[in-house]
Amino acid sequence: MDKLPQLSLPARILGLVIGIILTVIGIGFGFAQAISVQIIILSAIATLVLFYWAWRYLIGQFIDGEARHTDGLSPLRQAWTQYRWPLLGLGLILLAFLLLSLTVEAFFNIWNVISLIILLVILVLTRTLGRQFQQNRSAFIGIMVLAGLFSVGSMNIEGFSSGNNIKSMLLFASFLGIASVGQTLVALLGGLDLSIPFIIGGANVGLLYLIGLGVPPWLAVIIVLTIGTLLGVINGLLSYRLQGQALIVTLGTGFAISGGVQIITSIGSAYSGNVFGTVPAWLSNFSAMNGSTFGLPFPPVIAIWALIAIILIIGLRTTVYGRYLYALGVNRTSASRIMISEMRYWVAVYALSGFFAALTGGLLLGWSGGGFIGVGDQYLFLTLAAVVVGGTSLLGGAGGYGFTVIGVLVLQVLSSFLVGIGLDFKWQQFIFGLLILPMVALYARSPHIRTQI
Amino acid sequence: MSASAINTITAATKSVVAEAQGGRSNPFLLMPITLFFALLSVAVLRAPSLMSASGIGAAIIVVTPLILATYALMASTIAGRGTIDLSVGPLIGFINVTMIQLHAAGLLESPIPVFLYCMGVGAAYQLIFSLIVIYVRVQPIIVSLSGYLALTGINLVILPRPGGTAPAFMEEWGFGIEIFSPILVILLLATTAWLLFTATAFYTHLRLMGSDERAAYTSGVPITIVRIGAHLISGCFAGLASICFTALISSGDPSQGTTYTLIAVTALVLGGASLGGGRGGVFGSALGALNLYLITYVLSSFNFGSVQSFVTNLAYGVILVISLLMTLLIPVIQRYIRNFSPLLYFVALSVVVLGIILHATFDYGSLGAVGVYVPGPFSLQAALTAPLETASLTTETEALRLAAAPLVFSSIILIIVAVFLRLAIGQSSRRTIGPAVAVVVAALALAGAYVIAEGANTTQTEVIK
Repeated sequence: MDKLPQLSLPARILGLVIGIILTVIGIGFGFAQAISVQIIILSAIATLVLFYWAWRYLIGQFIDGEARHTDGLSPLRQAWTQYRWPLLGLGLILLAFLLLSLTVEAFFNIWNVISLIILLVILVLTRTLGRQFQQNRSAFIGIMVLAGLFSVGSMNIEGFSSGNNIKSMLLFASFLGIASVGQTLVALLGGLDLSIPFIIGGANVGLLYLIGLGVPPWLAVIIVLTIGTLLGVINGLLSYRLQGQALIVTLGTGFAISGGVQIITSIGSAYSGNVFGTVPAWLSNFSAMNGSTFGLPFPPVIAIWALIAIILIIGLRTTVYGRYLYALGVNRTSASRIMISEMRYWVAVYALSGFFAALTGGLLLGWSGGGFIGVGDQYLFLTLAAVVVGGTSLLGGAGGYGFTVIGVLVLQVLSSFLVGIGLDFKWQQFIFGLLILPMVALYARSPHIRTQI
Repeated sequence: MSASAINTITAATKSVVAEAQGGRSNPFLLMPITLFFALLSVAVLRAPSLMSASGIGAAIIVVTPLILATYALMASTIAGRGTIDLSVGPLIGFINVTMIQLHAAGLLESPIPVFLYCMGVGAAYQLIFSLIVIYVRVQPIIVSLSGYLALTGINLVILPRPGGTAPAFMEEWGFGIEIFSPILVILLLATTAWLLFTATAFYTHLRLMGSDERAAYTSGVPITIVRIGAHLISGCFAGLASICFTALISSGDPSQGTTYTLIAVTALVLGGASLGGGRGGVFGSALGALNLYLITYVLSSFNFGSVQSFVTNLAYGVILVISLLMTLLIPVIQRYIRNFSPLLYFVALSVVVLGIILHATFDYGSLGAVGVYVPGPFSLQAALTAPLETASLTTETEALRLAAAPLVFSSIILIIVAVFLRLAIGQSSRRTIGPAVAVVVAALALAGAYVIAEGANTTQTEVIK
């Protein structure tokens, strides 16, 4: 924690006061809406702590960078040279808004204006504050986008910030999040794993098939997870010598896995590709919307995801295994000089990737209630998108699972926002595609070739 | 800047393996060629109907969009920086559906506007792609992922479900009943265009940039222009691919994007190209796509019932992984064969497979009821003298000749193969193909003699009848 900049006493007191005011407002609203007392207390504490942490972190970064602007240019000109592109972007957005209001009827209402202002504020904050961050710029931008999307969504869409919607968003986010664990770890070493969707589908079908054969469900889960891990190990071993082609090796093993699982499960069955059977109740409870965790009203899969995320974030930052992973991702040669086995880590991350893909497949079975080989298909590029949007570099060595969590949440909130304003899957995908590029361009630009020599 | 200078630079920066990648001796073509002929032999033996006019015609129609899609991918992948254009499939789909919709709206009736439109849209998309890569400086794979998602979505918006009609002039293209269809012409033109392109300095710059961008920059190669050019070529190939795709299905289909992307990437790698950049060509790419088609074809000749598509998936995956692992052996092979010539290897293997094809498709029943003795092709002496012989042979001699015929035939084939292998290994470093041409001419003469003998035989049998 020594990285946190020290704030002066008045600034700290100011932050605390603002935080307490916000908390009081939150408590007031909570009582006004007649929410149970435990939740109000919990959220009040969360608000206060988060706000104070953010205050220290953000303001500290800002004050630190304040001292730099001391050149002789006039402030206006300086602002123009420094923020030329964002200003042009702002102008374009304003222009688009004006055009839309002039052409589309009933577009010009109070909510849209407020949304526009929030959007502009986020853009400005991202460009101005974002510059102060050297390390975690992508996380900052991600959080800003998340906050903006969420506030715009809850203003424009009825029931967007209701408990149920948040619960369902978290539910889908946890599937994507667990599936992206492997992709993140593999990307930290500079690889890619495209076999994830196929292992998800295979685990989904295979688990139900095993249960249908009469294997006890807990044993079936263990078998499927073990097989998933083994497939991951095979992936790692096969692609170790072909690291440049890891994308295509894993795609090949993915095809083979998906074909093989289907052959095994559909021998003697009339419905090839689909497996029918009854899912045990505890597994349905794991990932159904109305599931409960030790009596609390949310499905356990969210808790599982949170647990995995915390373990991974802390593990990657503090344990020697996590640090070695980064060391390998940044520079293989120097990592091997300090006796880090590249092979062991490469295979291990692929094994973890297989394990978490199989876990996702099993959990998705509880959600859907029927086995289907194509259940993981949408995760083919979505896991990649989550990793990329979060800010983990595909070249290895930079990023982490915390970034991926933000990326997953951004994608999920964005998709439910788009559903909320009445766009279907194809428009969602279109807008996803158009948004990934500018988001990544905000923080992941590589230097010019002339500076790389 | 000459090719040899480029090679020297490449060799200086890369390892010894990189040295042998230049010029004609590309050892990475070893795998695709071997796989191609192995699959072709099995396919012909399993289902000889492949080697009929309609069989080859249908194969060309189906495989041309795949080959062109692989070309499109190849052109941008050579440019380096890990440019694996995942959006190539959706791009083909996008051109396809917009063309269908514009056609339905009454535009785009005649061939020239259609071709201009398709290649223009492809080139325009790839131009934007390259400009983003160059000036925004985001990793190309992220740009392509973004394009993949956006185009997949917008395709479904433009054409929600498969349907529509292709322009009228295309309707007969997709029948695939004869070999020489317009599709084949497109394929040959595209291939020739790339081969001509490889003779330019631009291509040399492109390969240098792909294998080491920094070296290219410091050598004064205008990397911005080279990258834009590579993407423009890729866009034109994508346009051609979508024309062939439209001709194949005679309608619009927005949902083939993922399939085409995966197949094109697979075919590119099967064809021995490097996803890292700097290595790849039309020969390997076409072979890669053909191999994928042949895998499906061979597997469909076995009847697996309801699990057919799963077996195909399994075989795809296994063959892909195995052939990738085999590329690890290439440095070992290179230790023994310094200058491997893929062209000569190809010709040598094709002679062998030609024999297999002749064996599989030859109608032995038409030779009459001899049955016991398989009358193989005759030796040169017998073929040339047989029509001149007036005295009839004794039956013993006849039987002896028939018995010896397969032996003679196989020994001739063996000699040809041996000579070719010798040339492929020994002579290839000399950059002349004189000896090879001589052997080809000799083989052609033999084949001609065989055909003449065959003709004489059939006339004789007709006379007897």
